[in-house]
Amino acid sequence: MLSYIASYLVMASIYGIIALALNFQWGFSGLMNFGIGASYMLGAYSAALLSSAPTAEHLGGFGVPFPFDLIGAAVIPAFIAFLIGFPALRLKGGPFAIATLAIHEIIYLIVHNEMWLTNGVWGIRDISRPLYSQMPQQYDFFYLLIAGGLLIVFYFFFRKVVRSPWGRVIRGVKVDEDMALMSGKHAWSYKMQSFVLGSAVAGIAGGLFVHYTGFVSPTNFTPLMATFIVWLMVMVGGSGSNRGVLVGTFFVWGVWTGSEFLTDLFPGSMETRAGFMRMFLMGIILLIVIMTRPQGIFGRKKIIPKYLRSK
Amino acid sequence: MIGPLVNGIILGSIITLGAIGVTLVADILNFFNFAHGAIFTLGAYFTYLYLNILPDMGSMFSLSFGGSMLIAIILSMVSTSLVVLFFDKIIFRTLRRRDASSLFLALTSLGLVFVMKATISMIWGPQVHYYGPIQSAIKFPLGIRVKPDEFFIVAASLILVLVAYLFLKYTRLGKAMRATSDNVVLAQASGVGTERIVTWTWIMSASLAALGGTLYGLEVQIRPTMGWSFLIPMFVAVIVGGVGSFGGALAGGMIIGISEELITSLLQDLFLKLDIRVVMSAYKPAIAFVLIIFVLLVRPHGIFGRKGG
Repeated sequence: MLSYIASYLVMASIYGIIALALNFQWGFSGLMNFGIGASYMLGAYSAALLSSAPTAEHLGGFGVPFPFDLIGAAVIPAFIAFLIGFPALRLKGGPFAIATLAIHEIIYLIVHNEMWLTNGVWGIRDISRPLYSQMPQQYDFFYLLIAGGLLIVFYFFFRKVVRSPWGRVIRGVKVDEDMALMSGKHAWSYKMQSFVLGSAVAGIAGGLFVHYTGFVSPTNFTPLMATFIVWLMVMVGGSGSNRGVLVGTFFVWGVWTGSEFLTDLFPGSMETRAGFMRMFLMGIILLIVIMTRPQGIFGRKKIIPKYLRSK
Repeated sequence: MIGPLVNGIILGSIITLGAIGVTLVADILNFFNFAHGAIFTLGAYFTYLYLNILPDMGSMFSLSFGGSMLIAIILSMVSTSLVVLFFDKIIFRTLRRRDASSLFLALTSLGLVFVMKATISMIWGPQVHYYGPIQSAIKFPLGIRVKPDEFFIVAASLILVLVAYLFLKYTRLGKAMRATSDNVVLAQASGVGTERIVTWTWIMSASLAALGGTLYGLEVQIRPTMGWSFLIPMFVAVIVGGVGSFGGALAGGMIIGISEELITSLLQDLFLKLDIRVVMSAYKPAIAFVLIIFVLLVRPHGIFGRKGG
């Protein structure tokens, strides 16, 4: 039971890091990134390929040990985000969301189809789990120290970033791009920096995920599990509030893991359909939050003082 | 070369049916409806439902279906519209009254995607369904192979697109819809009831999507994820053509459909010659995305888009 709770907390911490990254992009910078799952997936596969032993099945054998491959898991998604940012950040609002969604689909297709690179649908097995041999029994607790620790680090990191002068410009660009331009701040460049930073952090979460499970396959990164659930965490907690997002993450992940019992309630033949019950539940939670408390549990309606707003 | 072109026209007419709905909602309700793919899927499943209830009326000409299919399509268009109007009543209308931003509405529609997709999967199961037996193609000169149903697909899309165009252009209601999209305040001041316009926008959008879903089901198969994979081509068609432009949605849909088929087949030939082993058909959505980048670099508001629109 205790290890069940620990494993819940580990996954919640990993999702918490992605949710913080998305909250930075959406809540503070106003970038409607429907492709946050792509950065998560890229980070996961980067870490898996960098640390895996040489094999004939897929790319690998770089032999980068655990904490160091997380650097790769941050740099590769950040670099891809940088490349994508050039065309995508020309778009605004809805079209930007569509472009990022399309990028998620494309990266998913590549991971799904290119056997030589990622072993396709079969996934990558035997990813090193740091210090697993020393404590196979208490592994969830040990990993909770790593994942939970990093979650706390990133919480304070984003708290600091948002309040820094740089973060103030980022928030300013969200509220009024023209005003930021008039103040001599290159709005596009700030959006790019925010996009890249968020992607790097989501990539690190991906790296943490593969070292925890020891296995990764494209099914971990469906639109529901990689992107929508993260959006749900941000919206429930309240976009623009890091504390709220943490609460949202633990709540949503709790409902998701808790709803697993739904699949047990149905007879075996109905099990696949029961899986869709959980998907339904996630969608309904978002609609309920939007209808009853659009700013989320901890969200504030305004992130800058009223008198500074142009509208 | 001509084979992929023909396939592209078929795919393009289905994309167009979806794209018109996306562009209407984007223009009049002012948000990108991510649930449009799910509406597309729902339409296909409603047709499947009615087709099994209705008595079999035999088949017309050399098509694989008959009069019962036509009735099923009409019933499906009505049912899909009713479901969409229900969602509008309980969700989007409240948000409109609250003056929610367009990004917020888009996010809401993303939530709706999962509700609808899960419901469809729970009712009909995740497996693939077919309307009828798979038809064999007729051979034409130049190596073109066309199934009789595919003539119906293109003809039905063209007729419905034309009807929608004439409706918007010449009827009182259509003119009111265009006026609302142009300037809400002025339209209201001239006595146009916005809620009525919104209702008709949803009905048009959902009906065309239901037809599109059914036609795709005829061409390929129906499955719960079909609409999601059509979402990106539909959106790209709208952005390429210019948001809010009817002709743009038509041109965009055709451009996406034809270029997806043509470019994949050309690249596949090229890779075969270079001995690179890549299955290009798996990357069709990527082509739509590359296209969007090219068009937007040249014309930021789309091919038919108005500046600032």
